[in-house]
Amino acid sequence: MHKRNFHTQIDFMNRQVYNKIFTGTSIIAVILCCIILFFLLGVIFWNGFSAISFDFIFSPSSNFGAEGGIIYQIAGSLLLVLVSGLISFPIALGAAIFKSEYIKSKRWSKISSMLIYGLNAIPSVIYGIFGLIFFVNFLGTGISWFVGSIILAIMILPTIIFSAYQSINSVPTSFRESSLALGFTKWQMIYKVLLPQGINGAITGLLIGLARAIGETAPIMFIATAFSGVELPGSLLEPVASLPTHILALAQQATNTDALENAWGASLILILLVISFSLSALFLRLKTKKH
Amino acid sequence: MSVLSNKIGKSYVMTSALISAAVVLLISITLLINSWDAITNVGWGLFSFNWNPSTQEFGILPMIYGTIAVTLIALVIAVPLGIFTAIFTSEILPTKYRLSIKSILELLAGIPSIIYGLIGIAFFSIWVQDIFDLQSGRTILTAGILLGIMILPTVITLTDDALQNVPSSYREASKGLGLYKYEVIKNSILPIAKSDIIGAILLAFGRALGETMAVMLVIGSIDKIPDSIFNWLNPGQTITSKLGREIAESSYGSTHFSTMIFMGLILFVFVLLLTFFAQKKLSHSNRLYE
Repeated sequence: MHKRNFHTQIDFMNRQVYNKIFTGTSIIAVILCCIILFFLLGVIFWNGFSAISFDFIFSPSSNFGAEGGIIYQIAGSLLLVLVSGLISFPIALGAAIFKSEYIKSKRWSKISSMLIYGLNAIPSVIYGIFGLIFFVNFLGTGISWFVGSIILAIMILPTIIFSAYQSINSVPTSFRESSLALGFTKWQMIYKVLLPQGINGAITGLLIGLARAIGETAPIMFIATAFSGVELPGSLLEPVASLPTHILALAQQATNTDALENAWGASLILILLVISFSLSALFLRLKTKKH
Repeated sequence: MSVLSNKIGKSYVMTSALISAAVVLLISITLLINSWDAITNVGWGLFSFNWNPSTQEFGILPMIYGTIAVTLIALVIAVPLGIFTAIFTSEILPTKYRLSIKSILELLAGIPSIIYGLIGIAFFSIWVQDIFDLQSGRTILTAGILLGIMILPTVITLTDDALQNVPSSYREASKGLGLYKYEVIKNSILPIAKSDIIGAILLAFGRALGETMAVMLVIGSIDKIPDSIFNWLNPGQTITSKLGREIAESSYGSTHFSTMIFMGLILFVFVLLLTFFAQKKLSHSNRLYE
């Protein structure tokens, strides 16, 4: 009897010790993560703010990016992603409606989900080499910003489809049934009932997609961009300058301190663009939730 | 009129769905056709250790080794750190802070990989160089550490979701039995969330394999397996960094080009397989607890 009590006592103490070790480990993990977080954001913002100025943002680059600003890189990046959004949005919306309203069997619904997950998982550099083979060489477009937009459009397709699908699919079935009972055709039902409800989800997806697209380097670096001497493209088949490829070129001459400083400046601007797209998506999502 | 619009509408959504599906097919076919030359001409020579296009040697094993080594280091860093952090955010941290934590994680996940690469070049590679007293800090280890940090938000977010999916009745019941928090998590929450967590790790694995820019900038880009395969303080090369550095230099249609595409194909197939396994793990448990 006495012995058993002694053992429970030990067990109890062991349990307490394990609990403390466990909680301690979690807290250490969190602290490590916080250090990493503050380091990353600190480095980007600290180095970035000391590198940017009004002149830096609004003047063209010179001397291989080591001097001057990044106005054409900003314009080029915005052009690339906005056009990619224009291409991707209608296709994604249609595909989302198809998945939600026209696919009946569970099996096809699963297959379509797998296709979306697959498209979403393809490494970005694979999109780049696909564009290089199919558009630049096979179709003979050469280095072209428009091809870059098409490739980015393909890349953000799954993001928009998924977000649009979720919001369209979440419209209650009774809405569909009552509008069909009123004599709407299926398309009228989709257009007048589902779309007004689902459009916010699609736009949220678009903004998330744009936030991702504007930071991508690998898909566009072989097919759409040129480093120096590029201003705004005059036709669809000309290269463009972009922020991520500009940072890449500057990072490769990292021993040159001027180049490195401009790389930090360009990085800050790029991150601010990413954040403004994601924040718009966040606000839209919160606004939709409130209704 | 309404009949016509019905038809137009239907053909619009069907075309969109077809385009989306066709893209996946088109990418697979393009990769396969263009790697055919390497498969027939180089054949088993692909799986050798020497890469030298000028002597027609196209061994891709150094790149496969580099990819595995870098991904392994990244997972060893990100998985334990991410799971413990997720346990903290999901089980220990009060619920009112959750939204801000989630937003910060999304912010981190949104940092473009080229910026991670810049940070890697400006800081990490220099630290590695100084700590280990190397000629150059651009090594397999540097790339692995950087990659581990990059996939950390993915691991944390998905594990946190997995833990949140466990109904709180399980927590309450185990707590009611007088179990400590550690015992609640270890004995009732983790076993239930296990499948989802494995799915999360597989997804992070897939992301790590495909990451290009950051790895390319800090890995050193030498197509050689180090003398001792665990000597990660040597420069190396991954499939993605190889593609990023060399694809523009190889001429379209050459065996060199085709071998590069073959490496892309291997990466493509492997990442897709990982994603499908991951989704199986994830959807399985979703069905169970919905």
